[in-house]
Amino acid sequence: MGKINNVWVFAEATEALAELCARGRQLGELVTALVIGPQSKAEQIIRQGADRVFWLGEPDSSVIVEAYTETILGLLEKEQPSLLLMNNNKRAKLIAGRLAAKLETTVLTDVMEFVNAGDKLQVKHMVYGGAAIRIEQAITKVCIATVGAGTFEPLLEDGSRQGTIISVEVIFDSKNIKLLERRSKGTTSVNIAAAKRIVGVGRGIVAQEDIKLAEELAALLGAEIGCTRPLAEGVNWLPKERYIGVSGVMSKPDVYFALGISGQIQHMVGINQAKTIIAVNKDKNSLIFNQADYGVIGDLYKIVPALIGKLKAGL
Amino acid sequence: MDIVVCYKVVPDEQDIVIQVDQRLSFTKAEWKIGQYDQSAIEAGVQIAENVGGKVLALSIGNKTLDSSKLRKSALSRGPGKLYLVVDENLEGADSFQTAQVLAKAVAKIGKFDLVICGEGSSDLYAQQVGIQLGELLGVATINAVSKIVPDGDKIIVERTLEEEVEVLEVTLPAVISVTSDINLPRIPSLKEILAAGKKNVTTWSLADIEGQNCTRRTEVSSTLAPEQTDRKRIILEGDLDAVVTQLYGHLRRELQ
Repeated sequence: MGKINNVWVFAEATEALAELCARGRQLGELVTALVIGPQSKAEQIIRQGADRVFWLGEPDSSVIVEAYTETILGLLEKEQPSLLLMNNNKRAKLIAGRLAAKLETTVLTDVMEFVNAGDKLQVKHMVYGGAAIRIEQAITKVCIATVGAGTFEPLLEDGSRQGTIISVEVIFDSKNIKLLERRSKGTTSVNIAAAKRIVGVGRGIVAQEDIKLAEELAALLGAEIGCTRPLAEGVNWLPKERYIGVSGVMSKPDVYFALGISGQIQHMVGINQAKTIIAVNKDKNSLIFNQADYGVIGDLYKIVPALIGKLKAGL
Repeated sequence: MDIVVCYKVVPDEQDIVIQVDQRLSFTKAEWKIGQYDQSAIEAGVQIAENVGGKVLALSIGNKTLDSSKLRKSALSRGPGKLYLVVDENLEGADSFQTAQVLAKAVAKIGKFDLVICGEGSSDLYAQQVGIQLGELLGVATINAVSKIVPDGDKIIVERTLEEEVEVLEVTLPAVISVTSDINLPRIPSLKEILAAGKKNVTTWSLADIEGQNCTRRTEVSSTLAPEQTDRKRIILEGDLDAVVTQLYGHLRRELQ
């Protein structure tokens, strides 16, 4: 693909920023990174692919990161890069949206892939709950796009790389938002996106305590527990981090074991990349059987205990 | 408190048909209020119920939006009045165009303390409209709001991010986008649906709000169903012992 000129990248975490730099190098001739952190971080980002760093100084824990938006806007308006790349998380989406409103553009969110289209930068992303993939492009001078973290390899640090670090004076936004408290969610961190084996549960699980059955199977398989949206956002039996699907996590395990999952598209897009899908469902007309490698028609409350028995005996 | 709740009318996902050429067909689709936006309406109505105030609903789109059933669907959930901007140029609006039109409509409605949007639309889910609307109106804007406590001319909100929760004090007026788990939207009763038919609806065109210049910033090349991964589609059914024995065999091979 023909490269665009200037790509800017912004993320809070060093690893995520390095990843965006690597992506930026593939798309553009010159990569400029916006860095919040110690100067050593700015230097590291140059070694990992940035040609230039706008260094926004050490973080200030009394404000939210979104308070840097107007400072970033000032830089964008002055330099008009072709593309600003950010991540898909909530903070980045807020910053991207506020910048886009001021720059009169539409943010291309949750980009799966950038597409070769001559001099135009097209993107692919899912629409209609995963029922379709849309290819589109922004028609504005500055384009803002968000991509998933953990989807691209950062470049190895190269000490011979040269770059400029420009210190930027930060003026925090006075947007009438005051940070009162910040606390960790306290959920155990689980990385479904990286799990090699997943036992997924859906509404075929009748009661919350029955999740234990799935957990026992998962423990024997060395698998993580994942779920459909109703279990995480309807009955709240499992934390949102385990919800696989279009507004949740995208997974690509070697084996996905679906228990009581009907196969709605919104969930299936999140497991489409699985190497092998095994499904147990008592409804023989379930959509999931069209997309499973092994489809077991039957009562999971009978099949799973029997399978657990065999797995234990086989150990 | 003067509250405006925004919603988008979307096709029911279950009625979307994938054609042989991989395009999507919406001809059989029933249109409904986006599921994330139902939480926005409910959040606004709950605030008014708790601390008093008026709730107005607002939506923009093409003429699909302006059906009696969809009007009642919005008004039966509690808002006292409904404002619609209906224009064929709004079919397939992108997030910037939508935010611009909403901003013009909110300005024409007049004074507001709080605008509430859903986290994203059920069809495009870019999660951008509420954020851009706040910025265009020049007021505080925040997303991922999972709890709202009114406090005079401020609201104290909890914001649920990927790994942490923030508690923020937001000075009104403001535009917030709420998460889908902030509440469980009520199911309107028959009485509420009947009463909704008597509530006031104002319908504007783009020209009425001086919004003819609100245009989109993206060009769509194609929208096609993804290729399905080829699957073996081996079905096991019948006698429990036999099925489990076969399943165990397949599973062992796949795990190696």
